[in-house]
Amino acid sequence: MATPLIKLLHEHREELLDAWLHHAQSIWSGNGNYESLPQESRLRLRSIFDDIATLIAQTTPDDDFELNPEGALANHLHQFVTEQARIGSGANKTIGLMLSLKHLLSTRLFDRSEADAVADLMWLERIFDSLTQLTFTAFVDVREHLITQQSLSLLELSTPVLRLWSRILLLPLVGVIDTIRARQITERLLEAIARHEARVTILDLTGVPVIDTSVAQHLMKTIDAARLLGTQVVMTGISPEGAQTLTKLGIRFGDVLCRATLRAGIAEALLLTGQRISPVEERRS
Amino acid sequence: MRIPVLSLGRILLVSIQEDLTDSDAMQFQSDLVERVAETEALGVAIDITALDVVDSYMARVINDTAYMVRLLGAEAVICGVQPFVAMTLIEMGRDLLGADCAFNLEQGLEILKGRIAKRGDTRFDEDEDA
Repeated sequence: MATPLIKLLHEHREELLDAWLHHAQSIWSGNGNYESLPQESRLRLRSIFDDIATLIAQTTPDDDFELNPEGALANHLHQFVTEQARIGSGANKTIGLMLSLKHLLSTRLFDRSEADAVADLMWLERIFDSLTQLTFTAFVDVREHLITQQSLSLLELSTPVLRLWSRILLLPLVGVIDTIRARQITERLLEAIARHEARVTILDLTGVPVIDTSVAQHLMKTIDAARLLGTQVVMTGISPEGAQTLTKLGIRFGDVLCRATLRAGIAEALLLTGQRISPVEERRS
Repeated sequence: MRIPVLSLGRILLVSIQEDLTDSDAMQFQSDLVERVAETEALGVAIDITALDVVDSYMARVINDTAYMVRLLGAEAVICGVQPFVAMTLIEMGRDLLGADCAFNLEQGLEILKGRIAKRGDTRFDEDEDA
C-alpha cells in the first residue's frame, strides 16, 4: 500500500537526501569547521537515510512500530553517533540532525496536503521518536564509556609510591581524593611498605587542593594502617587552609610528624633512618 | 584589633595582650597560620602572660592554633599561663590546653630552640649550603 509518505520518499528521494545533507553541512559549519563535511560522514548519513526509507517502505502506519536494536539502521546510527561524540560534537547537534530530517519530511508531507497525510504524520512522529531516543542513548553511552576510561587511566597515573632512598618511601598525592582512590592509595602504600621494609613514609599533600572531612578520614586510615606496619609517617606540604580545616574538624593525627615542605620532610626522614646527604670531594664537572 | 606577628629568625612570636573578641580570635588564628606557611617558620611561641582570664573558647582557639602550627611543620609552645588561669582551665577540663607550655617567654624560646636543633631539616642545612 503506497501511503503519501512512501510516495514522497519514492519520488523525491535524491532531493530529500540532498536537502538533509545540506542541512548537516550547515550544522557542521556552525561548529566552527570551515571545510566541508567529511566524505565518511556523508556516506554514513546517506546509509542512515536509505535505512530509514527502507524502514518506512516496509512498514505501514497501522503497524506497531518497534525499532530493532540489532538492525542495520540502529547499527549505522550508533556508528555515526560514536564518530560525532569522539570528535567532540555536542549532543544537541547530533540529535538536531535527526530531528531536522523529521522536520524536512513532515513539511514536505504537509505541503502535498493529501487526504491521509495525518496518519502518516503520526507515524513519522513515532518512528523519529524512537530514532531520537536511540541517538541519545548511544551518545550518552559513548560519553560515559569515555569518562570511565579516563578516570581509570587517571587512577593508574595518579598514585605512584616512590622509593626515595633505602627504607624511605614517598607518596605524592595529587588531585581530589575520593573513596575509591583512597582505598587504592592505601593498598599500594601498604604493599610498597611491606616490599621495601620502609622505616619512614613521606606523605606529600602539596597537590591536594581541598582537604575535607572525607579526605581527612581517608588520610587517617592510610596513616594508621602504615603505622601498624611499623613505619613512621611524615606529612608534608599541608596548606594553611588545609591545616585550619583539619583542626576545626577535630582531626588529630597523633604523633605523626609534620613538615612544611617536602625538602624538610626528606631531611627528617633521613635523620630518622640515620642517614645524611653529604658533599663529595671530587665533583664531576 | 590585629595581633602583630614578630619574627626572630625562623621563630615567630605572638603576644596576646588583651581579651579578644571571637572574630579577632579567628583573625589572629588565620593570620598566624598564613604567616607560618609563608615564612616556613620552624617554631612559634604564643605568649599569654597578659591574659588574666582565658575562657574555654579562647583556650580552644589557642590550642587549635598550636595544632595548626604543628601541621604546618613548626614547633609550638604556649608561654606565660598565669596560675589563676591554669586553675580555671583545669576546672573546665584537663585537655583544654593540650599543647606544650612554658613558664615565661624566655623558657619558651629555649624549648623551641632545643626542639628545632633536633630536627632533621635544620641539621642538614649546612650540608645543602656546602
